[in-house]
Amino acid sequence: MSNQQVNITVRNLSVGYKKGKNFVAIKEGINVNAHSGELIALIGSNGIGKSTLLRTLTGFQKPLGGEILFNDRKLGSFSIKELARVLSFVSTEAIRVQNLRVWELLAMGRYPYTNLMGTLTDEDNRIIQRAIQQVGLAGYEDRMIDQISDGERQRAMIARTLVQDTPLIILDEPTAFLDIRNKYEIIHLLHNFVKTENKTVLFSTHDLNISTSEVDKIWLMLDDKMVEGAPEDLILAGNFDQMFRSDKVYFNGESGDFMLRKNTIGTYTLKGPEGKIFNWTCRALQRIGLVYTETDPLVVINIPSEEKNMVWKAEINSTEKLVCSSLYELTAELGKRLSGL
Amino acid sequence: MLKDRLISRDFLLFGMLGLLAILLFILDIFFGSLLIPFKTILQVLTGTGDVNPEIKSIVLDFRLPKAITAVMAGMALSISGLQMQTIFRNPLAGPFVLGISAGASLGVAILVLGFSSVFTLGLFTISGSWALVIVAWLGSALVLFLILAVSIRIKDILTILILGMLFGSASGALVNILQYFSNESMLKSFVIWTMGSLGSVTKSQLNVLIPSVVIGLFLSFFSVKSLDVMLLGEQYAKSMGLRVRNARFLVFTSTSILAGSITAFCGPIGFIGIAVPHIGRLLFKTARHKILIPSSLLLGSIVMLLSDIVSQMPGYESTLPINSVTALVGIPVIIWIILKNRKFSSV
Repeated sequence: MSNQQVNITVRNLSVGYKKGKNFVAIKEGINVNAHSGELIALIGSNGIGKSTLLRTLTGFQKPLGGEILFNDRKLGSFSIKELARVLSFVSTEAIRVQNLRVWELLAMGRYPYTNLMGTLTDEDNRIIQRAIQQVGLAGYEDRMIDQISDGERQRAMIARTLVQDTPLIILDEPTAFLDIRNKYEIIHLLHNFVKTENKTVLFSTHDLNISTSEVDKIWLMLDDKMVEGAPEDLILAGNFDQMFRSDKVYFNGESGDFMLRKNTIGTYTLKGPEGKIFNWTCRALQRIGLVYTETDPLVVINIPSEEKNMVWKAEINSTEKLVCSSLYELTAELGKRLSGL
Repeated sequence: MLKDRLISRDFLLFGMLGLLAILLFILDIFFGSLLIPFKTILQVLTGTGDVNPEIKSIVLDFRLPKAITAVMAGMALSISGLQMQTIFRNPLAGPFVLGISAGASLGVAILVLGFSSVFTLGLFTISGSWALVIVAWLGSALVLFLILAVSIRIKDILTILILGMLFGSASGALVNILQYFSNESMLKSFVIWTMGSLGSVTKSQLNVLIPSVVIGLFLSFFSVKSLDVMLLGEQYAKSMGLRVRNARFLVFTSTSILAGSITAFCGPIGFIGIAVPHIGRLLFKTARHKILIPSSLLLGSIVMLLSDIVSQMPGYESTLPINSVTALVGIPVIIWIILKNRKFSSV
C-alpha cells in the first residue's frame, strides 16, 4: 500500500462543526491537491480552521459540503478499517500513558494488520525495528514513553505512523512544544521519508521559517480563501501579507518571516563594506525603529571595517557625534537621543 | 534480543503468581473457626480416604464455595477495574469509586423492594439468583453509560471520580427511599442481601456466579487488542481502524456483568478493582492488555484470597468484614497512585 502512487483532491470543500441542529461552516470553497512524495505544510493563523480541516481530512468529522477524493475514490466511502490502511494521524495531544514502552506504542500501529489477539509476526517486528531506526530511536525500544523527552516522544509517535504503513500521514502541529533543534529535526525527518518512501505528509504548523525551507507545498488558509503553492510562489504572490490583518505585524518578503511594525524614529545610512557587520547593524537599527535611506539621512554611521576593531561612529544631524564599541551601546545611545528630539 | 528476555521474565512471574494463587486457595480452605488438619482437607478435596461427613460438609459446602467465590470476586473486580482504567484513561477508575457497584445495588433494591411478592422467598433459588444478577448487570450498565455521557464533555479525571461518587450516593439515596416505602418482609430479604459477603454465597448461587463471571471474562479477552489502542484515546484508536463505539460497548457489557455479578452476591467490595491492575503494571512493567489481563486475574485471586484469610483472623472465633480488609489493602495503593500522578492530574 505504501508504495502506491496517491493523489488527493479536495474539491469545493466546506468544513465546520455542528451546533445543535445547525451546521456552522468555518471555511468554504477549499480546493487543494496533494500527491505522493510531497511534504505539505498547512499554515494559517489561530482559529482559522486548520484543525477542523485536518479532522475532516482524517475522516473524524464529515465535510459540510464538497468532496475529498483519494485516488478518485470519495473519502466518505472508506470504512474505518480501510481508512486505517490509507492514512495515519498524529494529534497535538501529548500521550501520557504510563508503563507503555516505545516498542509497545509502535506495535499499536500494526493494529490494522494483526489478528484478534494482536500477535506480532516476524514481518511486523521487522517493520517496527525499521521504523525505530528511521526516526533515530534505536536503543530506545524498551524505554517508557512517559520517561523520554518531548522530542523523542514525538519521534515515537511519527514512527508509529510509519509502522501503520499508510501512503498518507497527517500531523496536527507536530512541532508545537518542541525546542528549536527538535523542530528542525522533526520537519527534516518528515522531509526525509517523504522522499525515500514516496509518502504524502501533511502537517499544520506555525513555524513558517522552518517549513518554508523544507516543504514542497504550502496550503495557506486565509480569512477569505485558501491558496496553495510552493512557499516561494506564495511569498512572491504576496499571500502571506494577507495572513494577518494587523497594523502591528507584517510579512517581510525579503527575509521570509513575520516582523513587528515599529514606530519610525528617524532615517539612517551606513558607510562601510557590505557583509556580516553591515547586515547585523541594519537589523539592530531597524529594531529600534530607524529606516534605511540613501538620501538625506538623519543619522550617518561608519561601521567597523574589520572584526578586530569593532567601533561604530555615528553622526546625528551632521552635528552630534557618537563613538560606540558595541551595537548594544549604539542602539541605546541612538534610542535615547532620537526619542528626545 | 531484549524483547525475548522480557517474555521469559513474564513467564517466570506468571508461574510464580500461579503457584501462589493455588497455595493461597488451599490455605483459605484450611483457615476457619474450626481447625481441620491439613491432611484431612487434602483427603476431602481429592476424594480419597474416610472423612467424617460433618467435616466433609464444612469443607465442601462452606469453605470451598467461599474460596471459589473469593477467586471469582478477585478476578471479576480486577478485570472490571482494569477495563475502566483503560476506557476512561484514568488510573483511579474502578467499579467501586465510579459508582458501578452502587448501580448494581440499586438494581437489586428495585427488584427486591419493588417486586417483592415474587422474590422475597425466591431470592435464594436458581431462578431468583439469575433475576438478581441480571438486575445488578442492568444497574451497573446504567451508571456506566451515565459516566460515559459525562466523560465525553469533561476530561478532568478527578471531576469524573467525584461524579462517580455522586452517582453512587444518588443510587444509595434511591435505595434508602425504596426501603422506606417497602413492607417488612421485603425489607428483611433486602437487609439479608446487604449483609452479603464471600461466605454467604451458597453452592447453588455459585451455579449462577461462575458462568456469569466466565462470560464477563470471555468478553474481556476479545477486547485485548482494542483496549491497547484505546490507551491512546478515541481519536488515535479510530485512526488505527478501531470501531470505538462497538469496542466500548463490548467492554461496558463485560464490566457490567463482572462488577454486577459480584455485587449481586457478595455486596459491594471496594478498592480491589482499582488497586490490583496497578500491582500488575508494577510487576510486569507494561501497558499491554495481553499481559495485564492474565496478571490481573492471578493477582486479583491472590489479593482476594489473602484478604479473606486475614478477615477470618486465624485463631479467633469471629471474622472481619471483607470490605474493611480490602480497603486497608487498596487505599495505600490509591494514595501511592495519587502521589505518583500529581503532575498528570488530567487526561
